Amino acid sequence: MPPSALGSLRSLTRRLTVGGATGVGWPRHEIALGVAFLVAAALIGLLTSGYLLQFATDIFTFMAMAYGWNLISGMTGYVSFGQIAFYGLGAYGTALLILHGHVPWYVAAPVAGAVAALLALVLGGVMLRLRGIFFALGMFGLVQILSILFSQWQFAGGGQGLILPGALTAHAVYAETVLVAIFAFALNLYYSRSALGLKAMAIRDDEEAAAAMGVHTTRVKIVTFVLSAIPPAIVAGLVAWNRSYIDPPSMFDPSVDFQAILFSLLGGMGTLWGPALGTVILELVGEQIWAQFPEFQLGLFGLLVVLIVVFFPGGVVSVLRRFGWLPRPVIMAPSELPRGSPPALAGEAGGDGPVLEVRGLSVRFGGVTALRDVDLEVRRGETVSIIGANGAGKTTLFNVITGFVRPTRGEVLFKGRPIKGWSVTQLAEAGIGRTFQIPRPMESLTVWENVLLAALNGRRKHAAVDQAAWVIRALGMEAIWLEPVVNLPPGHRRQVELARALALQPDVILLDEVMAGMNREEQEKIRDAIRTLHEYGVSAVAGVEHVVAAIVDLCDRIVVLDFGQKIADGEPQQVLRDPAVIGAYLGEAG
Amino acid sequence: MRRRFGALALAAVAGLVFAACGGTAAQPSGTGGGPPIALGGSISETGNLSADATYELQGIQLAVEQINSKGGVLGRRLTFKYYDDKSDAGTAVRLYQRLITQDKVNFLLGPYSSGITQAMASIPNKYQVVSVDAGASLPTIFKAPNKYNFSDVASSETYIEQVLPIAKQHGLNKVALLVFNSAFSLACGAARKQQAQQLGMNIVYENTYSLPVPDFSSQALGIKNAGAEVIIGCTYYPDAIGIAQALNRVGYKPTMFAETVGPPEAGFVKTLGPIANGIITNTQWWPSLHTPGNSQFVSSFKSKYGIDPDYHAASGYAAVQILAEGIRRAGAIDQNKVRAALLKGNIPTVQGTWNCDQYGLPVGIKNYLAQYQGGVMKLVYPENVAEAPIQIPYTGA
Amino acid sequence: MLILQLLVNGVLLAGMYLLMAQSLNLIFGVMRIVNFAQGTMIAVAGLFTVWLATRIGLNPFLAIPIVFVAMFWIGAIVERLLLRRITLRGTQGELMTLMVTFGISFVLINVALKAWGSEYVSLPYLQSSWRLGPIEFAKSLVIAGAFGTVLSAALFSWLNFTGSGKALLATSQSRIGAGTCGIDAGRMSTLAFALGSALAAAAGTVLVLVTPLGPQSGNDLTILCFVVIALGGLGDYLGAILGALVVGVAQSVLGFYLGGNVQVLLPYILLILIMLFIPRGLSLSRLAR
Repeated sequence: MPPSALGSLRSLTRRLTVGGATGVGWPRHEIALGVAFLVAAALIGLLTSGYLLQFATDIFTFMAMAYGWNLISGMTGYVSFGQIAFYGLGAYGTALLILHGHVPWYVAAPVAGAVAALLALVLGGVMLRLRGIFFALGMFGLVQILSILFSQWQFAGGGQGLILPGALTAHAVYAETVLVAIFAFALNLYYSRSALGLKAMAIRDDEEAAAAMGVHTTRVKIVTFVLSAIPPAIVAGLVAWNRSYIDPPSMFDPSVDFQAILFSLLGGMGTLWGPALGTVILELVGEQIWAQFPEFQLGLFGLLVVLIVVFFPGGVVSVLRRFGWLPRPVIMAPSELPRGSPPALAGEAGGDGPVLEVRGLSVRFGGVTALRDVDLEVRRGETVSIIGANGAGKTTLFNVITGFVRPTRGEVLFKGRPIKGWSVTQLAEAGIGRTFQIPRPMESLTVWENVLLAALNGRRKHAAVDQAAWVIRALGMEAIWLEPVVNLPPGHRRQVELARALALQPDVILLDEVMAGMNREEQEKIRDAIRTLHEYGVSAVAGVEHVVAAIVDLCDRIVVLDFGQKIADGEPQQVLRDPAVIGAYLGEAG
Repeated sequence: MRRRFGALALAAVAGLVFAACGGTAAQPSGTGGGPPIALGGSISETGNLSADATYELQGIQLAVEQINSKGGVLGRRLTFKYYDDKSDAGTAVRLYQRLITQDKVNFLLGPYSSGITQAMASIPNKYQVVSVDAGASLPTIFKAPNKYNFSDVASSETYIEQVLPIAKQHGLNKVALLVFNSAFSLACGAARKQQAQQLGMNIVYENTYSLPVPDFSSQALGIKNAGAEVIIGCTYYPDAIGIAQALNRVGYKPTMFAETVGPPEAGFVKTLGPIANGIITNTQWWPSLHTPGNSQFVSSFKSKYGIDPDYHAASGYAAVQILAEGIRRAGAIDQNKVRAALLKGNIPTVQGTWNCDQYGLPVGIKNYLAQYQGGVMKLVYPENVAEAPIQIPYTGA
Repeated sequence: MLILQLLVNGVLLAGMYLLMAQSLNLIFGVMRIVNFAQGTMIAVAGLFTVWLATRIGLNPFLAIPIVFVAMFWIGAIVERLLLRRITLRGTQGELMTLMVTFGISFVLINVALKAWGSEYVSLPYLQSSWRLGPIEFAKSLVIAGAFGTVLSAALFSWLNFTGSGKALLATSQSRIGAGTCGIDAGRMSTLAFALGSALAAAAGTVLVLVTPLGPQSGNDLTILCFVVIALGGLGDYLGAILGALVVGVAQSVLGFYLGGNVQVLLPYILLILIMLFIPRGLSLSRLAR
């Protein structure tokens, strides 16, 4: 291909991507890889038959399944040992549609895919309330439950299975399988470049922090779960037709699932190309090796899982990335950081009343009282410092206000409305931003994506990009905006935390130990930022333990907590002279 | 899978060596009337079905070897090309297509287990290649349109079918039915239930279970509570053991105790010890049967593999016998002629004379009853071939 | 009387489950990981016991120290060479270790398949029952249950009343805190995983007397163990007793009235229900606090 042609192709794809540009664009080799896959798929379809065609069909079947798994487990981090549930449901759906609905197979399989998606919606509402190991094993259990239920359901053939009329329409089945694999790839492509994908990856890195940035975690998880159910369900329908016989043990077989997981892991979990590369490499190359040791297949399979997870957790793609190939595109990153425009003043809507009111708040954990009868009022544009020793209750107070902890007694009013029963996400959306005591930025994402994630809350893409750019400039983070957070020193992580909270454009921002562990220069940046908040009418509440001096000249008021109780509240100079405060806190802190 | 290229290379090398030697070594006189007749199949060398499937493979290989040593078929040698399907239906489907389209085998031998055979059953039909299946007992597999599949295994519905009539003769009436939740066992369980009803017997306990049941005590209590006299277990191996153990634990001894699959395996009596005594089971073949060539089969199997053959080995062996005789009678490698010859039946095998119905299902492959007596399994029914009379009641420990 | 017998069976079964599950608890308590190879370790140890018994004629109870020591070292090596290298923390770290132990289970299964074939085996040992009035007490289950209870008690007293045990317990409560007290958290993790593996092996020796085991019966056992400890609250050694009782009795009673399918489904259904409605389990320790 002449360079000019390639150039025009690149500009074409660039135009196709969001906002006219991405941080990385579409590298040449990525397009080449995609074209290679398509050409190979087409050639196989045209030139082969019989065994080779069946082999290729199997490869694309597994590719589709690996991509389905990659969505929920790789992108969203909910590792599932039970996506085969949807494979089984798809197979049974297709079979029943063919047998009882007399639907042609090529229609029945996609319809069954849609039915499986609907079931995933219902199941997801239940299963996704489980996390981590519980979800992984819960899904494994779900498969066993479904398998036994189907073996009891006589209409679906019971334990004796179902025999389908047709079989081995090889080329047509192959073509549809390839289409499903492409569809599954497209879903992953969308996730790797869209706001939805960004939210999914944020959930993978830290679900609570994502919620605090206004991500509707449940919604994102369920949507992903539903989408991830479709590819395995459709390919299973095609497998059922091709094989003309299904029964519960072969359609709900966890070992088929484990293979798809292994393919995805080997290629690179959570990456766009991992599942495709992993499937092809292992099917073609690996099986040649395994074939030499047929009696050690299980062991080699296990060993491979162990070695990949321990030594190459990113799989093939992570190795390629060391050479600069197949990099992860930074989601919605403009090729150049725009100037960004300052947000409109927040102060207009709320009137003069307090933005945040805490009344008689008590929190007890078991027998321990973390907060006792605390009152607090924050006016618009006001900066309040809450000082207190470790364990005085600052973080608990913030956790109650941001919806992480339910109070035992008392209430919190935000802009005059009680927030009882609001979720973390709802509160973030309503305008309460926070930072965490120990910074919790999304490790696998860049600074830009962390900030954008929060900026996306309630904004369209262009406005979000603009807002994120403004925040990055306002905090002076231009030099590191495309850095992955995992490479940043602690001081910069706190900056990312603050930037995220700011990008939400909150009415009030809760800063938990925001200057701890920073050098003087970094502290100065944060001080500037807090002053900026002031200018835009954003109220700030800063929890402070040690660096009191750095904040005291910034704040309008100081509140002192001691063992969960408020012991002082007023003008900074006045509070700091209060003998009770000196005795309880400043005295011992030196 | 699948030893693809490695095995191909080996086969190619082996072929060259044979060619180079000019048939001096393994080629007995009288062969060489053309290229070898290639048989192909997939076998579960690994995976959860590997134990029984390995017997089937050994039976097949022994038969091929013996037929070749007697001059082959139509003056041509037989070869058997096989791959490991890892006990996985999807893999087997792929492998059978490979055997037909890549390896160009002339005829097929079926895989082990009804489930995998069911999955591959449409392939012989599509490519019009005759397949004799030695590992499937579900009759539905062979019903139209799969007209190129033949079976040499008695139908799952006929397993332990003589037990209930014998029980009836002994005046027993209360039957307990324990059925494992798999295609094969369910078919057998349904048939036994119907049989009991026809005989006017009373089913006092009925239960379907999935594995792994950690402990069958609850079922054993249920059986005890119902006072069942005859226990019919449509089982596999681990559950066949578990049920017997649990009955022993709750201290219940039925008058007759029969289980379909499991007891014939060598580990059964080793595991259960005296509890096994009196347990009745099914077998389609027995070393002491006076079927054509049976004693020679038993002794050559033993000398080749160092173990006793079981009925899976016999059905693998018989499948090759049936296919070879079909080709011989057809007089050509012509699928439809061979199919027609097979449909005519009347082929002697170590399992007895094989005939089939219009679907390719065997007629005349008998089921026999065997029973553990004094720690040894003996053929006990029908009486004309029995090594010992059937012992009633069940003794146990 | 029937229901009494069912309850007795359930309680005896619970003892066996406790025996199997307690070591999973130990590993989770200290390392915050679920050992997916737990069930396979149990199964492989059971097969090894049968091999020792049939080949050398070794009494299964005398086999316990052998499998215990063997699996202890396997566990220690696995922890040192593999699990330690997983640096991710939190949920992702948990899942990665789950995957690694999942892979290890396949390696163990393969080794067992090569060594002993794919057949299920058991031993003709302690197959009868003791009779107390109208109630039958299955000997093998009584011994397994007693063993499980003794083991739980020993584990509990070791963790609470000895220096090394307290160090392990401290590590399970706070790695950082334990570190500041001069406890080597890494060593403690190795000890926990090795000990957990060894205890699983001991459980396998007893289990193989109760029910036939094969190389591939491990995964279901893992789930069963996980349900037991999740019911009792992960990492809660006393809660697991309650968890085991719930699973055992429910299986015994429901197995009788509803049949074998329900019996097998029960752990999975419980798993999902517990996680949904009482994610912290029926924690006895928490109630006591």
